[in-house]
Amino acid sequence: MAVSTVPTRAVHVAAVPDWTAAVRVAGDLLVDLGVATADYVTACVDSVHERGPYIVLAPGLALAHARPEQGATGVGVAVARLGEPVVFGHPANDPVDLVLAFATDAPEGHLDMLRALATALGGGLAARLRAADGPAELDALLTGAVAGA
Amino acid sequence: MSQRPTPLTVLAVCGLGMGTSLILRMTCETVFARLGIDARVDNTDLSAAKGQSPDVLVGQGMHMADLEGVATVNVVVDDFVDDAALEARLRPALAEAGWL
Repeated sequence: MAVSTVPTRAVHVAAVPDWTAAVRVAGDLLVDLGVATADYVTACVDSVHERGPYIVLAPGLALAHARPEQGATGVGVAVARLGEPVVFGHPANDPVDLVLAFATDAPEGHLDMLRALATALGGGLAARLRAADGPAELDALLTGAVAGA
Repeated sequence: MSQRPTPLTVLAVCGLGMGTSLILRMTCETVFARLGIDARVDNTDLSAAKGQSPDVLVGQGMHMADLEGVATVNVVVDDFVDDAALEARLRPALAEAGWL
């Protein structure tokens, strides 16, 4: 069996107008990777409108995603780091300067990736992303976090 | 006080039931393993959670009002990846139920 690697992409942006723009920046990276459509990015934003800012799962960190059938065309993960944090309206974890986004085209296709990501986040990935020099280092950190997934 | 169910059924809840709650589920598994408690942890979305009856429900405060009465023990957690913080919230809740 071939070793599968999860494609990643990262960007640092100085500032965005609001949280919807932040989610779109991260989601557009998934489109660049070829693992999601523009509709998927919109679904990521709509999900927060409909269900609240629960995707802000740790201080300063959000995990944007939608359902596979909402436009995911592959498996991938991305991160947008914001120079100026944005407010999602989360009672405990605002403001947010790291927006992760993932897509998976199969209901179970993301389990290994998220397991690896959860382990990395529990081990201080967010702090390392915040300290990273630029997009290349951000991307390398993210690739390493989901490697082997 | 009642005897702790074996395994303890635990439900991690988020809005969509596939990303955020999955990460919380993994953090829960870490904590229950460390506590030496036999627990079966699942994750689901808010509406599906209402149809279940787990022993312990773990999720964000913004969802808990909707989930009143679903589980015996409710634990509100802000940081889904910090297992030490989750353990600090779980311990008193489990102790109160007589399950620690």
